[in-house]
Amino acid sequence: MMDGLTQFFGAIGELTTPMSLFHVAWATLLGIIVGSLPGLTATMGVALLTTLTYSLDRDAAILSLICMYVGAIYGGSRSAILLNIPGTPASAATSLDGYPLARQGKAAYAMGLATAGSALGTLVGILLLVMIAPPLAEIALDFGSFEFFWLAVFGIVISGQLTGGISPLKGYIAGILGLMIAMIGSDGIHAHIRFTMGFDTLNGGIGLIPAMVGAFGFAEILTVMWQPKGAMIEEKKGHDRTLPRLLDLWRYKFTIVRSGIIGTLVGIIPGVGEDIGAWSSYAAAKKFSPERGKFGKGSTEGLTAAETGNSAVVPGSLIPALTLAVPGSASAAVLIAALFIHGVRPGPMIMLEAPEFVYLIAAMLLFATIAILIYGLTLTRFFILVLKIPREWLMPVIFVLCVIGPYALTQRIFEIWVMFGFGFFGFLLRQMNYPMAPLVLGIILGDLLDKSLRRGLTLSDGQIEPFLTRPISAVFAAIVVLSIVSGLPPVRRATSRLITRTTGGGPD
Amino acid sequence: MRMDSAVADRLTAIVLFLIGLASTWGGFVMDRLEIRQIHPASIPGLVPMILGFALMICAGALAWSARTPRGDAAANPNTSASAFAVTLVWSALYALVAVGNMPFAIATMIYVAGFTLWFLWAENGQRPDPIKIILVVVFSIAIAIGISVLFRDGFLVRLP
Repeated sequence: MMDGLTQFFGAIGELTTPMSLFHVAWATLLGIIVGSLPGLTATMGVALLTTLTYSLDRDAAILSLICMYVGAIYGGSRSAILLNIPGTPASAATSLDGYPLARQGKAAYAMGLATAGSALGTLVGILLLVMIAPPLAEIALDFGSFEFFWLAVFGIVISGQLTGGISPLKGYIAGILGLMIAMIGSDGIHAHIRFTMGFDTLNGGIGLIPAMVGAFGFAEILTVMWQPKGAMIEEKKGHDRTLPRLLDLWRYKFTIVRSGIIGTLVGIIPGVGEDIGAWSSYAAAKKFSPERGKFGKGSTEGLTAAETGNSAVVPGSLIPALTLAVPGSASAAVLIAALFIHGVRPGPMIMLEAPEFVYLIAAMLLFATIAILIYGLTLTRFFILVLKIPREWLMPVIFVLCVIGPYALTQRIFEIWVMFGFGFFGFLLRQMNYPMAPLVLGIILGDLLDKSLRRGLTLSDGQIEPFLTRPISAVFAAIVVLSIVSGLPPVRRATSRLITRTTGGGPD
Repeated sequence: MRMDSAVADRLTAIVLFLIGLASTWGGFVMDRLEIRQIHPASIPGLVPMILGFALMICAGALAWSARTPRGDAAANPNTSASAFAVTLVWSALYALVAVGNMPFAIATMIYVAGFTLWFLWAENGQRPDPIKIILVVVFSIAIAIGISVLFRDGFLVRLP
């Protein structure tokens, strides 16, 4: 523990240079702007920035990407409060209470509270990251092919289950489609070329960055242009304060800690993401709050819970990303790709190969948190101006970056085609309520699942018993089966009837 | 027809089933590399076969869940199909045709100016005033030059 703390403080010292602080300043500001603008998500921001940080050194590039991620998740609260349109899906729960507060003339105070909530949520997440990541990496050292196979299946199933909305079926389908996309190109064991249909450009497979820039960038542009514009609440001057009262924060101390822990734990679950973190925290806060009647009508506690929850997901999602190379969220998936580009190999070996890196990431998150706190409490009026940028000026610029960014990685026109294809089909899938996170997770985990299953079967001489009898594998298998069974409509209906009978009524 | 309607789900289920079938068949007929004497359990087509089978099951379940209409056939009147179509077609012309066939900066300038002017015009139902047109042209030139210089000189990318 003391060793960890020493390394953490050492990382803070390492990052306290003028150049690092400069990267923190611009990347966090850019992140908040990206998050503020409806239609630009954190994942899109991180994916586009990845293409802009190829030439930076490792630490500067990762620092910029993490600041973008933290800033964008926080920035989403701006439009959620002022426009009732979440800047990012992560801020959907924020709009439930943030927008009513803005209508009551408390927009600046709501934004101040959201800032404090986000900062505290990230801090709780950082603490848990530092505590959980090293032991998790040690446990992961015991993973073999059998366990990694189940880990990949677990990621797809849980991500599909939790992001699929009313029915997990569409989440599963998105996950399977992602896994199938990962099958294209040279296989990871025998280098046999699969499903390229004679196109040599597909031999290396589908690149993650073009796919993600398409699915989260171009698809977002199409969605923004498809949807109606939002109307902004005009801020009433002189009625409001930006700085949250310490008394309010102290009053919600249990909500903040609870939401921070829930957000981090949701972040650890593969491919689930910030929106689920916010909703889970919001639901828990509503359940335990003595003021639950105010929720949805301008509750400061509800706003704090949602913002603390979504921000805590950021450090949480980096825990499996660093220790297992399995992303906790879609943005973390891009971060994994960026780590590989910059020569860092995330996974169980990270605590042996680069143990200081986990603490460096924690220190980067801390710097980003301080930056959002400073920006959030001082630049409220500026962010209101940012929201007024018309979409017809902004969207073409974003699309140009969507085109040139993926191209810059390999300098092949083919990557632009991949981006465009993923953008168009990503838009269609979204309109049909298919979640994007399992699809992306499938592309990342496809290779791991394929290699682990075939290696495991080779080791066991074709027997499937080790996949079910080894302790960690058995636990994963049980969770996967339980998750799938619990998602079946008859089981869901029976569970719902049982809960209603036990509680003696419907939900409040 | 809404894209999240039961009819759309049924059509999607058919497409997904065919994709699953194609993946299963593709995996089944894929080279088993006997010549390299690999273990039969590690054939390259194994996982595509399993995934294809899983997708076919999911497609069946999707078709089953969409067997009755949900009463949501009316399209959302607030969405703009024309804005979507213009964005898609104009962006496709830029990304898939112009980029690679003409200098990047010029293609970008035309794309940005065209996009912005179209939506300013479409939104107001009248031509934007001359000052706004000049502003859009200056903006598009600045964006085209800025992005080109950033990638060419900053990141040493050979522009398409």
